Amino acid sequence: MSVAGYVERNRLGIGGAVAVVLLALVLAVALDLPVAAIVTVGFVERALQAATPIALAAIGGLYAEKSGVFNIGLEGFMILGAANAAAFVWLLGGESPTQGDLWLAILAAVLVSLVYTLLFAVLLIRYRADQIVAGLAVWFIGLGFGPFSAVLLWGSRNSPGLVRVNDVTVPVLADLPLLGPVLFDTSPLVLATAVVAVVAWVVLYRTRYGYWVQAAGENPEALATAGVSVRRVRYASVLFSGAMAGLAGAVLLAHAGSFTGTGDTMVNGRGWIGIVAYLFGNYNPVGAAAAALLFGGLDMLQIQFQTAGIELPNRLVNLFPYVAVVVVLTVWGSTRMPSAVGEPYESEE
Amino acid sequence: MLGASALQRLGIATASTALALAIGLVVVAAAGYDPGTFLADMFEGAFGDRNAIGRTLKFTTVFILVGVAVAVAFRAGVFNIGVQGQFIVGGFATVVSILWLAPLLPGGTVGGLALLALGTVAGVVAGGLYAALPGILKAYGGANEIITTIMLNFIAVGVVGYLVEGPLRGEGNRAPNTARIPEYVRLPSVVFDSPDFSIVGLAVALVVVGIVSVVMIRTRIGYDMVTSGHQEAAATFSGVDAGRTIVTTMTFSGMVAGVAGAVFAIMIQGYYSDPGGVATYGFDAIAVSLLAANNPLGVVPAALLFGGLDSAGTHIGINSDVPPQLIDGVVGLVVLFVAAPELFRMAARRTGLGGESR
Repeated sequence: MSVAGYVERNRLGIGGAVAVVLLALVLAVALDLPVAAIVTVGFVERALQAATPIALAAIGGLYAEKSGVFNIGLEGFMILGAANAAAFVWLLGGESPTQGDLWLAILAAVLVSLVYTLLFAVLLIRYRADQIVAGLAVWFIGLGFGPFSAVLLWGSRNSPGLVRVNDVTVPVLADLPLLGPVLFDTSPLVLATAVVAVVAWVVLYRTRYGYWVQAAGENPEALATAGVSVRRVRYASVLFSGAMAGLAGAVLLAHAGSFTGTGDTMVNGRGWIGIVAYLFGNYNPVGAAAAALLFGGLDMLQIQFQTAGIELPNRLVNLFPYVAVVVVLTVWGSTRMPSAVGEPYESEE
Repeated sequence: MLGASALQRLGIATASTALALAIGLVVVAAAGYDPGTFLADMFEGAFGDRNAIGRTLKFTTVFILVGVAVAVAFRAGVFNIGVQGQFIVGGFATVVSILWLAPLLPGGTVGGLALLALGTVAGVVAGGLYAALPGILKAYGGANEIITTIMLNFIAVGVVGYLVEGPLRGEGNRAPNTARIPEYVRLPSVVFDSPDFSIVGLAVALVVVGIVSVVMIRTRIGYDMVTSGHQEAAATFSGVDAGRTIVTTMTFSGMVAGVAGAVFAIMIQGYYSDPGGVATYGFDAIAVSLLAANNPLGVVPAALLFGGLDSAGTHIGINSDVPPQLIDGVVGLVVLFVAAPELFRMAARRTGLGGESR
């Protein structure tokens, strides 16, 4: 669908988002908040960084769901991705890993995620496991084995400081006012995510394979009649979702620079927020990325509040994204899911 | 799982647990530890001596209650992943109400009993209300309860964490904890002389199991809940208000989670600490309930298994080099396998152990 078509179909959602932003502005003026000190270039950069893992997980998750499989294990795959990326960085570079080690580690974490996801996909598709329960199980497995491997490697649930990804700076363009620092002097992973979102959109809505993915979720019988293996399309989509969630975890690690395995781990609900992001974006990869940016921005508000001198307890400001998820789900809760989601497809083979 | 016979369910539960433990042992061996010693340590930690048994039963008590809370909702076809949050809010409400009411009531046994009762009621009400919220959002806003309850878990941890850190921190406490509840508000030590386990707590849990079973099987509300879970259309045709049933189910489930929170707060902690550090009973409860095929009575043996696993984990954490987080991973594997009964049916057919087609 075109941009105009998308706007047409999602008038309510987009209108709502605009209303929320307007309301925030009105409140800011009414309460005399220092808006200029809150919305800074640094804030936009941090929000973009915070949005990347959410957006990547969301794009993967929406492919799986479009194909008819609800991958509710995104959070778990993210935890395992982050833990594996940290482990590979450590094994490759020890105390002082280089950027090269980090990129290799990201790649390795994605490959390992593919293996996990294959097992998960076999359970879901071949053995018709309950998708909700199996997805929750992946979360528990991540919550257990992520910190477990951290304790094995570092004797603690948290890793020592490892390495953060360096920003890439495009000469000349980076000197542009406002846009320069945000777009041309930033983490390469932010740029990569933007590319992924656009490519994912093109593939889903503009290629034959994208139509197969959609048909596997909407009308698997028709797809099978057309001679395409529903199973194979679903396997590919679920594998993609797991790989993207693993990548999301690795990206989170690359931005944070160390693994945190205490509490709900460093992933801390971002996988779940990813699911809401693609629901909010109405299964559109670009919309999902935009929703992720909204949640990323909410996540980073606390730093802005601090620098602007607004006294709000940290722990409460940290809850903004979660509260936002509940509100979003309540107001736009009834998104139309692909009709065959959650149903195992029985072919005659 | 719900479509299987009782014997099949038992077989699937046993096979899931055995397979998950076997994978756990492989991980232990791969990490360079001796799986034999690990297994022996686990058994000793769970049932080795009187202390270990007391500890196992302590965890079992909590698991029974949170497991029943999950089972109530799952039975009715509603996914309450928010038991952890309801458990936290309930326990916190219990401690705060006991602390507020203590100066108003006489001390000693009578006051103690009154405070126990009032504190538990506060926990039940708080847990029920916190669960009613996602129920209302689902019934009337169409919000997916799986995700709202998970978000409300994070919100419960954050808000209670903020309160015990700041406004409600006990005077002179260095740690982010509330004040201790008075000494006379505690469950008596019978049989086991342990500071954080009382057989009375276990009895409370069993009574709750009985009450929930009766409500689910013998009352109109329970009947409506279970029918909506199995046959939504049929329930609607026979005049059951689907929206109201969802809210009732969630509230009921949350009330049981509130009892769990109260028992945990009174029997085990005696104060409330930052819930970020409280064990994730509410999540393991999902595994407990699934193992029991969401049957309130089946929750009791499943809770005993998980109580034993947790107790073994505590023992291993102290007496062995193997990181106890392994136990959490094994719990996850149990859930994963329980989700795929077909795996075991197929295995049973291949090996000739029966498992006739569904």
